[in-house]
Amino acid sequence: MTAPAETAAPTTGPVAHTPRQRRSMKTPRSVLIADKAADWVIRIGGVGVIVAVFGIMLFLAQVVVPLFTGAHVQSAFTSTQPIGTEPLFMSVVDEYKTVEVSVDNTGKMHANHIRTGAAIDIAPFDLGGKMPTAFARTPTGRELAFGFADGTLQMATLKVGGTVIDTKDVPADLRRLNEADATDGSAVYTVVSSDQTRRVSIAHEIAEPQQVAPEGTAIVAVDYRVGGSAERPTISFVTVDANGIGRLSRSESKTNMLTGKTTTSLTSSELPGLPEGVKVRTVLMTDKADEVYIVDIGGTFYRYDARDFDAPVLAETVRLVADGVQVGSVGFLIGEQSLVVGGSDGSVNVYFRLQREGAKTTDGYQLVRAHALESQPSGIVAMDVSQRGKMFVTSDSAGNVWLRHSTSEQVLLKLPPGQSVAYRTLTLAPRENGVFATGTDGKIHGWDVSAPHPESTLGTLFGKVWYEGYPEAGFTWQSSGADAFEPKLSLVPLIFGTIKATFYSLLFAIPIALGAAIYTSEFVHYKVRSVVKPTMELMASLPSVVLGFIAALILAPIVETWLAAIFFAFVMIPTGLFLSAYLWQLLPSPIALRYGGLPKFILIFAALILFGYLSYVAAPVFENLFFGGDLKAWANGERGSSAPFTAMLVFPFVFLGIFVSSDAIVTQRFGFVLRGSNRTSAGLADFLRWIATIVVAAFASYALGLVLISIGLDPRGGVVDTYVQRNTLVVGFAMGFAVIPIIYTISEDALNTVPEHLRAASLGCGATQWQTAMRVILPTAMSGVFSAVMIGMGRAVGETMIVVMAAGNTPLLDWNIFNGLRALSANIAVELPEAVRDSTLYRMLFLAALTLFVITFVVNTVAEAVRQRFRKRTAQL
Amino acid sequence: MMSAITETIPTEVEAVPMSQASTRHTDMRSRGEPALWALGGALALGIVMIVGFLALVFWNGVATFVPKPLPVVTDASGNVTAGEPFREELFRLQPDELAKLSPEWQARIEKDGGFASRTLYRLGNFDFYGDDFRWVPDFTLVKTEYPKNMLFVERLEWGPFVGTIKNFKLDGVEQPFSTLDDPKFLAAHDAARDRWREIRDIERDRIGAINHDIEEARLGLRKIELKTGKDSADYKAAQAEGQARQVDLTRAYDQLAAQAQKLRERNATNTVTVVEIGGRDKTVELSQLVRFYAANDLSFAQKVGVYFSRWVEFLTTEPREANTEGGVLPAIFGTAAMTLLMVVVVAPFGVITALYLREYAKQGRLVSFVRISVNNLAGVPSIVYGVFGLGFFAYVLGGSLDALFYPERLPNPTFGTGGLMWAALTLALLTVPVVIVATEEALAAVPRSMREGSLACGASKWQTIKYIILPRAMPGIMTGIILSMARGAGEVAPLMLIGVVKLAPQLPVDGFFPFVHLERSFMHLGFHIFDVGFQSRNAEAGKPMVFVTTMLLMALIFIMNISAIIIRNRLKRKFQGSQF
Repeated sequence: MTAPAETAAPTTGPVAHTPRQRRSMKTPRSVLIADKAADWVIRIGGVGVIVAVFGIMLFLAQVVVPLFTGAHVQSAFTSTQPIGTEPLFMSVVDEYKTVEVSVDNTGKMHANHIRTGAAIDIAPFDLGGKMPTAFARTPTGRELAFGFADGTLQMATLKVGGTVIDTKDVPADLRRLNEADATDGSAVYTVVSSDQTRRVSIAHEIAEPQQVAPEGTAIVAVDYRVGGSAERPTISFVTVDANGIGRLSRSESKTNMLTGKTTTSLTSSELPGLPEGVKVRTVLMTDKADEVYIVDIGGTFYRYDARDFDAPVLAETVRLVADGVQVGSVGFLIGEQSLVVGGSDGSVNVYFRLQREGAKTTDGYQLVRAHALESQPSGIVAMDVSQRGKMFVTSDSAGNVWLRHSTSEQVLLKLPPGQSVAYRTLTLAPRENGVFATGTDGKIHGWDVSAPHPESTLGTLFGKVWYEGYPEAGFTWQSSGADAFEPKLSLVPLIFGTIKATFYSLLFAIPIALGAAIYTSEFVHYKVRSVVKPTMELMASLPSVVLGFIAALILAPIVETWLAAIFFAFVMIPTGLFLSAYLWQLLPSPIALRYGGLPKFILIFAALILFGYLSYVAAPVFENLFFGGDLKAWANGERGSSAPFTAMLVFPFVFLGIFVSSDAIVTQRFGFVLRGSNRTSAGLADFLRWIATIVVAAFASYALGLVLISIGLDPRGGVVDTYVQRNTLVVGFAMGFAVIPIIYTISEDALNTVPEHLRAASLGCGATQWQTAMRVILPTAMSGVFSAVMIGMGRAVGETMIVVMAAGNTPLLDWNIFNGLRALSANIAVELPEAVRDSTLYRMLFLAALTLFVITFVVNTVAEAVRQRFRKRTAQL
Repeated sequence: MMSAITETIPTEVEAVPMSQASTRHTDMRSRGEPALWALGGALALGIVMIVGFLALVFWNGVATFVPKPLPVVTDASGNVTAGEPFREELFRLQPDELAKLSPEWQARIEKDGGFASRTLYRLGNFDFYGDDFRWVPDFTLVKTEYPKNMLFVERLEWGPFVGTIKNFKLDGVEQPFSTLDDPKFLAAHDAARDRWREIRDIERDRIGAINHDIEEARLGLRKIELKTGKDSADYKAAQAEGQARQVDLTRAYDQLAAQAQKLRERNATNTVTVVEIGGRDKTVELSQLVRFYAANDLSFAQKVGVYFSRWVEFLTTEPREANTEGGVLPAIFGTAAMTLLMVVVVAPFGVITALYLREYAKQGRLVSFVRISVNNLAGVPSIVYGVFGLGFFAYVLGGSLDALFYPERLPNPTFGTGGLMWAALTLALLTVPVVIVATEEALAAVPRSMREGSLACGASKWQTIKYIILPRAMPGIMTGIILSMARGAGEVAPLMLIGVVKLAPQLPVDGFFPFVHLERSFMHLGFHIFDVGFQSRNAEAGKPMVFVTTMLLMALIFIMNISAIIIRNRLKRKFQGSQF
């Protein structure tokens, strides 16, 4: 066998008489080395594989974790060179966080290198020597407007942007600012790679003044938006003058093709209904110029419906801050549909303009508080909103700067107040990766922040979230689409979809699989079993893509065409089988015994096919009787009554109830009467009793159905509703093919491993086969059967291809069996190939995978534990 | 054994009629006959479902390649339709349409409960009609003919053509067309096809090789640039060398392109003019015709010939027409390559882990916990493994590999995206529990006495494993490995995330160094089903092909499973009663 044996062999045999050569007792080195090596390889390999397999969960978790870590500060800094201390109207930062440009209240521009505060040359705006009395900027900060005491208005544009240039094009004599940046006085240069350099520069322009208010009346507040095309811009703006008159104006520029001369026309209309002597804090205008908000110092909002530009209407007057509180800062979030209102009490709320029943406004819309965010310790003084998402930053009079997210209502970061208590302006970097504040100390305070996934919290994943434009908070999954700046990432519809698919498919699969398993294990000839069992096992390995294909392209059209027949079959086949069973009972005992084996099973087969065919033939009758002639129209609620269908749903339960309760009363007497009668007459009596029970149950369930409907438990609009071709019914059938073989195989194994002596004992005591199966075998094998169902459920939960192909993939929250669903697994398969690595969606899909992993792992562990117990128990028997 | 017991007991009861004992059988409930029939019905339904399913797939799969007749049907309004009957169905007629029909048809349809029957014809000629299918209701039929000269022509583009041949041109000279058997015509077709193959050979293989060389040269230069910079002497030298080589390659390229162009021009002069049923004609290059036959004039032998030639085409050629026609060779190859690669990984690791768990680890709570967990991992959804594979293998591992070994190709990922190797590794993880569980069971079945005997004879632990345990457990291990192959071959969901594509231009194995390209994406039979059956423009037209692919995939998996079952049964028989 091994080396020692071979060396020993020649010494035995013919030369047996010579003294046996002393065999070396030392194990050869090669054996020792091989043994050691194998030892190590197997240990390391084994442990390695186990660790790797468990590493899957850790890896998934590690990808998911950043979703919940909010934001953190990467570095904080304060500029060293002073930048002045004038009060500022605004400041903007370029997207590379290099340069900050601010406008002070005299209309003067300042540009500074952020990290050092070093001044960068910038030509001033030509304001004609006047002092601005009002100032406005669009949310991007690219368009500015100044209002003056003489009633004129000047529009300006400002662009702070970076371009990448070849390093060899960079001017030679640059002044170093810090280790990364250098300047030539008017632009900042940053080396990006060996041959590329980024140049951040400032470009600005100002237009001619326009007379908006009457000559000599100062403009106190203004806001404006630019629309139209680049060639023919339309500028819409709203102004309030010192007399408290609000004006909605529009200026259009036309360039004459022949002369090249540009003419500008200005039209204005007055905003009605502003109270006398209103002190205006801010005016706001939406980007389509269809809504105007005027906010007074006391905190009252006047909302104008400006869809008809020539005749704006005061739609709503409302206070959006508590009594006695003033508005500290107010602005639109991206999309300009939500209004952020910061109060002088530190409160921060987000309002949506929503259509509401019974709104006391002229346009049927109403401002509704959708998100109440955590209050800051003192009054809000400044705010800046992101232009990529729903993130914004607020600061209060005590110098606290909080980074917030509107949809998830979370405070991502609380930046502590610095030495200089108050900030003049606050800026959120365009890429949401920095917050900058110009302090009253004449320095720029900056924080590089990282907030990659501000929209996800446990609350937004599993709770109701109020998304912009939605009438109320809800569970929504919509990862891409028109409003990509507010992705709707609620896992609830997906988990619900998984549960729905699992529930309906198990509803179909469990009875068939368990019934078949019990019958195979206890009642059929072993020859049948030896064919059926391996076939079922084989079916368990069927690729699910095949099932998905069959379901989507073959089954779905069939189900759609023969919907009524399929529903009828659910009634007809069980009834038919019972009927055949009662007729079988009428056979005299010897015949029943002789044909009790395979012939009976063939008869069952025949009955199944016969009644299946009958339900196909009689489907139109059934459809007329139960569904007013057309099932799909009925399901829509277009015709017919729900009562017959409700009765059909409750019938099995009513029937069982009556049957079991009548058992207790009738059977005793029944048995007494039948004592001594032969099998046929007993069978006949049983048959009649069954018929009678059916009739009674039919009436009772119809009555119950009526009652249920009258108390509002109508299955229509609930479990049945509008029909869609890719629906849960189809998924249920197809998934049945995947799940039935698994449940069948495992539960049949469990039933079959019940020790034979239990069966023999029970039968020997005179129990029938049926009694033995139900009262001895099944209870003993119960835990094994249970674990079979659990494993089947695990398979249904994770099944992907069938749901991808047959379920329609609509993330809905309804139980309608005629509608589709979007399961976790299908969602991963559909969306992950498109998801950008490390994006929020990517991590969300990993979370979906982790959820699936955990669900199936727990389900399977429970099943396994139960099965182990079962094994131990049967071993003891 | 069981049935013997149960049959005897009631018989004995029956033997003493009218006694006290006999009262028992009048209680029908004890037999549970109705419930029994319901259980039997469940089993019967299960069998009906399986048989129905298999029959559906088998029938459609087998029938797809059978050449079907081409009826020419004329309807009441004079429209003529020629095409393969695809399927028939009943449909409910709207009352206003019904009113327009003749009284006898009205009576017939009334009799059928308002349903009329109609047939879907596969028309072909997509270039003429812009449509693949047409419904013809039975009641509009005036006549159906089977003209002997109707041809079914499979083309490289635009799908099949149905119609007749008017004439053909041989090297620009118009020839009259007599019959399909015309040797001149057949020879011309063969020659044109040969030229077409040669063009393909030149363009794909030889020009492909040149392109490959050019790309290699570019990457080599970039590599040197990354290593030494643009100004180094090495770079300059390599650049000069590259330019010289470029000239050579370009010359070779031009030569080949000219050669192909010549063949193509020759092919352009060998054409055939075909006429569709409505009289419109079209001139097609002979080389574009894959197969043609007079559908209504086929002898049995010819039908068999067409049938098998289609099978050969299916199994040995590449797909065309967005995968709905042609063959599935790359998908078969991809499936096989991935499965084999997976087995190469999964078999040793699975067996080693099982050996560790059964023979080396201290049997205790921890090991039994690990065992249960490993068992459960077999139940974790495959898509989860796909997600892991994408995130870990492709992005983390592949990304690092790219940064280390293929910096010159960045930002195009080499290993940093889905590919054959990552797919195989992912599926290996997915199927390793199957191998572990099967191997463990096989190891546990080796009697303890044999281990002890071997150790007592002085064999070392490894010798015992190698010579005593593993040989005995081998059939069980083989079963596990085959089952894992079957599972791996049928999985699609994880592959969708990690490397499967609907059309892979290059096979993972080719003639360029290093010959096996594990980073390449590949085609897969299962994904082919998903793609053609679910995502293609016209799922109806692709359906027959999907059935064939389905049959192929199922056959592959069933064969593996059945062989596993056979091995298992043989193992049981071999070791029964051989314990000592």
